[in-house]
Amino acid sequence: MKQGEYSHQDKCGIAGVGWTKFSKNSGRSVLSLATEASLNAIRDAGLQPDDIDGIVRCDFDVVAHNDLANSLNLSNLTYWGYSGAGGAAPAGMVAQAIGAILSGQAKTVLAFRSLNGRSGFRLGKGRTQASSGAIGGNGSYEEFFVPFGMVSPGQVWAMLAQRHMHQFGTKPEDLGHIAVTSRERANSNPNAQMHGRTMTLDDYLASPMISSPLRLADYCLETDGACALVVTSAERAADTAKPPVLIRAVAQGAVTGIQPGMVGPVLSRPDPMTLPSVNIAKTLYARAGLGPQDIDVAQLYDCFTITVLVQFEDYGFCARGEGGPFAASGAIKMGGSLPINTSGGNLSEGYIHGMSHIVEGVLQLRGESTSQVEGAETCLVTSGLPVATGAMILRRGS
Amino acid sequence: MSYAERPPPVTTDYDTAGFWAAASEKKLAVRTCSDCGQSLHMPKAYCHSCGGWETEWKVVPPTATLYTWTTTERELRAGFKPPYTIVCVEVDEAPGVRMVGYLPGRPHLKVGMAMHARFEPTADGTLLPQWYPTP
Repeated sequence: MKQGEYSHQDKCGIAGVGWTKFSKNSGRSVLSLATEASLNAIRDAGLQPDDIDGIVRCDFDVVAHNDLANSLNLSNLTYWGYSGAGGAAPAGMVAQAIGAILSGQAKTVLAFRSLNGRSGFRLGKGRTQASSGAIGGNGSYEEFFVPFGMVSPGQVWAMLAQRHMHQFGTKPEDLGHIAVTSRERANSNPNAQMHGRTMTLDDYLASPMISSPLRLADYCLETDGACALVVTSAERAADTAKPPVLIRAVAQGAVTGIQPGMVGPVLSRPDPMTLPSVNIAKTLYARAGLGPQDIDVAQLYDCFTITVLVQFEDYGFCARGEGGPFAASGAIKMGGSLPINTSGGNLSEGYIHGMSHIVEGVLQLRGESTSQVEGAETCLVTSGLPVATGAMILRRGS
Repeated sequence: MSYAERPPPVTTDYDTAGFWAAASEKKLAVRTCSDCGQSLHMPKAYCHSCGGWETEWKVVPPTATLYTWTTTERELRAGFKPPYTIVCVEVDEAPGVRMVGYLPGRPHLKVGMAMHARFEPTADGTLLPQWYPTP
């Protein structure tokens, strides 16, 4: 694909990031959480609420654009939109914000995700958990899964992990290295839910099986909390309070043989182990003019350890099938060639459905991470697989 | 008994009803393009391969090969008492078509093993194809 005339490369930046406490029970409304994270992001950028003229949200969020605009008393809203599905949203939200800014529909866009993911609706029990009576229909295709006991995303990822082990010889310990590395980063991050709880590889192996071959420690956390970002033009970002972090490039993508529905139909793809990230990587690196060798640090969406492992392959950090040995090599730890999920990620910091990954990417490139990668200039940030998703490369501005 | 709490499938959807109609006669049917023979699973009305709109429910032998599986050790939804196993099989005579099935407990399984469907009623009497290892 020829890049040029319409390129968004380095034309927008993330001027502010905000978050709330991450907990098991916030005792607050999701609107209250969204408002706090948004105010923190706006203040972080050195802006006022009335500077915000656009809002983008996740399709799973119960807080709508007008709810948040009312809460923040915004009077200049000219653009809103939403992205998804679910954990795929964050990169898509940033992509929409860029589109709105570069097309003149907004100047400063707030993106947020807010959820009571533990005390309220628990995604791990599946999207149809509250439904009674017959399940499925209307293009959901849930009738082919839920009546058979396949209700949770974790079961699908478990089946993919089983298949990866069969095809490539991936070992439980390989997944364990991802869990342990994320935990080490969380142990340095005071806002991480697992800040005070260490985990060794033996602890990982002793963790109870949930859906074989995935153990409890392979699963992300369930979290009450919110994160927000302020996206604006590179020029405006350069004028804000903090060192500018530019969006080098963003890309959304599907996979060859895309399937409908939420998660279960993914198993019907010609090759279920081939995820959208294979295609996104090509588009993203082309748009960025960069390759895997140029990435200093990565925040990889981690609903499960196996999700991270396949992305090592898809984003070109190792060959196909080599995700296990790569995870075990030490490359993903501090001082390695690709430190990952430096806030602890979904696995050990908190599950804000991929938004905290962007926040951490920004903090890394400002030099403000609790696990700072020395001299980091570029950060890959990915959003939730496996249906159709997105990713971005952030870079330190000058 | 917990079995009564299992959610039955919607069997009246425009695109998928034929699967359940066939299952009610203990037959396994795959929606297939009448023009080019492309399997259209998840079932849908339009053939992405040849552009045709004529489809049929092709009855295929209820035999398959195990593609992958997982044994669930936690209760995720009422009606499915752990431990239980979900298998994902590839239907032998509809290449690329994969379906999932429920097996109680922790059966000994191996990728590539032969599987066959038995049609078993769920809580409301709807017959579901459930996949078992073929001895």
